[in-house]
Amino acid sequence: MSAVAANKATTASRRSRIRWKARARGAGLAAGVIAVLLWTLLPLFYLVVVSVKPEDMMLGPPSLAFHPTLARYQELLQWDQLGQPMWNSVASSGLGTLGAVILGGMAALAFTLMNFRGKSALFFVVLLTRMFPAVTTVIPIYLIVRMLGLLDSVTALVLLFIGFQIPLVMWILSTYLQTLPKELVEAASLDGASLPVIAVRIILPLAAPGLLSAAILSFIFNWNEFLFPLVLTSFDAKTGAVAMMNYLESEKNVLWGPLSTVGVAMTIPVVLFMVLLRRHLVRGLTAGMLKG
Amino acid sequence: MLLIFLLPALLYVTVWRIVPALYTAYLSFTAYNLAYDPSLDWVGFANYARLAQESGFLPSFTVTMEFTIIVTVAELGLGLSAALLFNRGMPMRNLVLGIFLIPIVLPPVVVGTIWYILFNQFVGPIPYLLQLAHGPYVPWLTTPGTALFGLVISDIWEWTPLMALLLLSALQAIPNDMLEAAMVDGASGFKLFRFITLPQIAAMMAVAVGLRFMDAFRELDKVIIMTGGGPGTATDFLSMHIYRAAFKFFTLGYAAAIVVTALAFLGVIYGFYFRALRGLATA
Repeated sequence: MSAVAANKATTASRRSRIRWKARARGAGLAAGVIAVLLWTLLPLFYLVVVSVKPEDMMLGPPSLAFHPTLARYQELLQWDQLGQPMWNSVASSGLGTLGAVILGGMAALAFTLMNFRGKSALFFVVLLTRMFPAVTTVIPIYLIVRMLGLLDSVTALVLLFIGFQIPLVMWILSTYLQTLPKELVEAASLDGASLPVIAVRIILPLAAPGLLSAAILSFIFNWNEFLFPLVLTSFDAKTGAVAMMNYLESEKNVLWGPLSTVGVAMTIPVVLFMVLLRRHLVRGLTAGMLKG
Repeated sequence: MLLIFLLPALLYVTVWRIVPALYTAYLSFTAYNLAYDPSLDWVGFANYARLAQESGFLPSFTVTMEFTIIVTVAELGLGLSAALLFNRGMPMRNLVLGIFLIPIVLPPVVVGTIWYILFNQFVGPIPYLLQLAHGPYVPWLTTPGTALFGLVISDIWEWTPLMALLLLSALQAIPNDMLEAAMVDGASGFKLFRFITLPQIAAMMAVAVGLRFMDAFRELDKVIIMTGGGPGTATDFLSMHIYRAAFKFFTLGYAAAIVVTALAFLGVIYGFYFRALRGLATA
């Protein structure tokens, strides 16, 4: 009788110990998740808070007790207020992406179909240009752009961004094109169709997903670019990133409102694109540095 | 026909990427002041000689290395912890992971701005909260001792997620029966991690560390935003040093010589990195 009771007691205590252990593990996991979320989201949240804070509340102890103002977000849509740098960012990133996708896409197709000695070495050299630290080429490029009379123009940024992203597009697309059936392409060319027709009619539809992710990644990289716009533009063509720099340049008189508002506006597109791109994100971010 | 498809891109990359890089190397052997020299003069190794004597170069290299090593080690440790956390099953893992990854796609200027605001003594919560806790009053980014710390924190915020993601992919590639076999043999907890998990992810760790090291070494955007290389020269990283030499003092030849020197150093690191990468491919 007593032996049975004792047995029951130990089983119960063991069971409760296991349950307690599982609960502790669960609590640890939950604490970890909460820590990760707070660590990531609180700084972003604070940027949004500053962007909707009325000007007279800006200095003084940080507080959440205020009526948010959206006036600065309306200024984003006006060319003469915060709008112009944002549109410069959109135009230079967009056109730079378009050019890179067209030139890089054609080259990736040619690379996939061609066979010649030194092909992989050539490809490596093209990819290697992505590894150059920005300061490596900034001086000569400044001199070239000045010589062409293109300082402070969106055109200069577009020309430059195309060159930056061609290797990225080639890299993403050529791994993608290798998965397409080669016979399809060769058969079409035997039928007498010329390469441009094949490219547009057959390969373009098949490669659309690869093209899209290459385009989105190019756009993100152009959008995030800072040193070159900073050096090459000053007023008319300055991008959102350069405008932010201007807002905080004078340490005594930082324009906190515009700074944080443009900051939020610069954040929204990349986060949206990131959601679209989950699968290819890491490969793209480490492009040229990490194979496979 | 294929050649016509290929050549425009190759020409483009040559003109806008490769030639400028080579021209930088050429510039490093010339004296050219953007502000008042009409043309450039060949000076041989004079810029490199100046680099060896210049008082600014060595401190700049040292502080860059300090930053690079601190953030790489910190991001490896934190990234590994986060990867182990995400490797345990949890509800809505993809959503949490997605949010965690946001900082790596943000413009670096925005990352710098966020932490510039957070550390600022007028609008930021960090100095305010410290004061509430009766801590010291520190203008973080304009104090020589703490400015580097501010940059380190912002870099950890930005890049730990990438480290975690790379290590997570390695963790998930470990075959389950391998772990089970070890557990049957009585391994658990730390032993399991040390003798089974760690060797399995070592190759990816080497690659991730190489990646972050090379990237952190050329850090520039957040420095321009958060400290401008200051106060004084406290955070005068190599890229900042080059940027200042070229576009504040207009000494292009000297700036180019620093670029070449830094690239030579990075080339050595890249060699190690490439070997790690091949190790990953054969593993």
